[in-house]
Amino acid sequence: MRRLAFVVAAAWQGFWRNPAMSVASTLTVALMLVLATFFAITNRGLQQAVALLEQKVELVLYLEDSARPTEILALKSRIEADPAVQSVAFISKEQAIERLRQATERSRDLALGELDNNPLPASLEVKLARAQEAGRLASTLRREEGLGVVSEIVDNPAVVDNLLTITRVLSIGGIAVLVMMLLVTLFVIVNTIRIAVTARRDEIEIMRLVGASDRLIRWPFILEGMLVGAFGAVLALTAIGAGAPAVADALTQFAGIVPLDFSPVFLAQLGGAVFGFALLVGAAGAGWSVRAHLTA
Amino acid sequence: MIALDDVSKCYPNGAYALRDLDLRIETGEFAFLVGSSGAGKSTLIRLLVRDELPTTGRVRVDGADVAKLKGSAVSKLRQRVGVVFQDFKLLPQRTVAENVEFALLVTGHTGRKEAEAAEHALSLVGLAHRRHHFPRELSGGEQQRTAIARALVSHPRLVIADEPTGNLDPVTSWEIIKLLVRVNELGTTLVIATHNADIVNALRRRVIHLDHGRIVRDEREGQYAA
Repeated sequence: MRRLAFVVAAAWQGFWRNPAMSVASTLTVALMLVLATFFAITNRGLQQAVALLEQKVELVLYLEDSARPTEILALKSRIEADPAVQSVAFISKEQAIERLRQATERSRDLALGELDNNPLPASLEVKLARAQEAGRLASTLRREEGLGVVSEIVDNPAVVDNLLTITRVLSIGGIAVLVMMLLVTLFVIVNTIRIAVTARRDEIEIMRLVGASDRLIRWPFILEGMLVGAFGAVLALTAIGAGAPAVADALTQFAGIVPLDFSPVFLAQLGGAVFGFALLVGAAGAGWSVRAHLTA
Repeated sequence: MIALDDVSKCYPNGAYALRDLDLRIETGEFAFLVGSSGAGKSTLIRLLVRDELPTTGRVRVDGADVAKLKGSAVSKLRQRVGVVFQDFKLLPQRTVAENVEFALLVTGHTGRKEAEAAEHALSLVGLAHRRHHFPRELSGGEQQRTAIARALVSHPRLVIADEPTGNLDPVTSWEIIKLLVRVNELGTTLVIATHNADIVNALRRRVIHLDHGRIVRDEREGQYAA
């Protein structure tokens, strides 16, 4: 118990009695965490944009005017049963012409009002839960063509393929950049702590010569590393909290279609992750750095 | 207290720091280690506190074969041997009192009794009034007295001093030596490596003379030079 008190007190003293080193390490940790967090948020925006793009993939089944409502409903529920399908919406002939009317309202040269009858077919619009399965679903549904309900199926296999390629590259690329960024953060933080520990290697030597066990030497440094990590994380999160609204506004204006989600849950997760990462890296970095001087 | 049997220390570059050393220092003895720089005095001291291991031969300190000590047993040996260095080796971020108490803390004992022991050791070296100062605020002599207090606080049976007066002026040197003599008079075995001929000649104690890693002279009431 007393040793624990000593270790805690020694870590606290070590931090405050080497102010220059502590401030330098803490600021470095904070800066690196801000940078890594920025990349994490950007990556999340990117993944959301990718998901949004993939939601745009849909199939449209144009229906025969002669198709009976019961047949249409049966088809609709058959399609809904497919796990790749998120939702199926029925668009009647009237809704179709209304949409067209609204779309052409701004261009007065199209005179829809003069139409005697409605030439547009009713349709089923299929939204997909998994864009990757668009091709399979389209080919399955194509069997319905000419059976009296479905007149034509519209999918865009080439467009879907291109879109999926782009989203895959963006998704994997984003994660790769994030992982690299985390590695860089790890490297810089560990090295900063290593420099701070090396500057105090005389202290470690003296402790050894006076008969301190390796454990008694190591733990104050590990706790001190965690202290640097914790202060760095608090500093980084404060800076992010202060700067986030402005950055989020700019991002929303820049990419208005992407609904960036900064829900409290996400923010809590992010804060927790940053804090935990900083503590862990601080402790591990310090433990590893001291070890080099203990075995020397 | 100290027994070396046929001890040699050879560094990886092939240079011998110590060669075929046989040495006995009994409990309660007071011995000077003399010799020019590079004669092997510091290497011998590093072997005694197991900062290094002998290449061949056996080093026993207070009954323990130092080469056979592992892990916490090494720490335990160092806790039983008080060491005083030329460059003091005080923890710069700790006060005088904390530096002295640290030697007790590493033994796992901290409490009122230990704080009193530290206080006692500090008054023994005449530094009680400086207890809350940091080493950088002390003179060289005061730093060395702090180091001696630290070496004494755990009541070691052996105190080894490596050039304890090397960085001090003559007057301060004498104060430090008188302090160490008192330590010896209280029953602690004392080994002092030194270049200070005046002190060796004045005290007329056992003198072990090292040259090129060998003992060339060992006299009961010796002088610095033969």
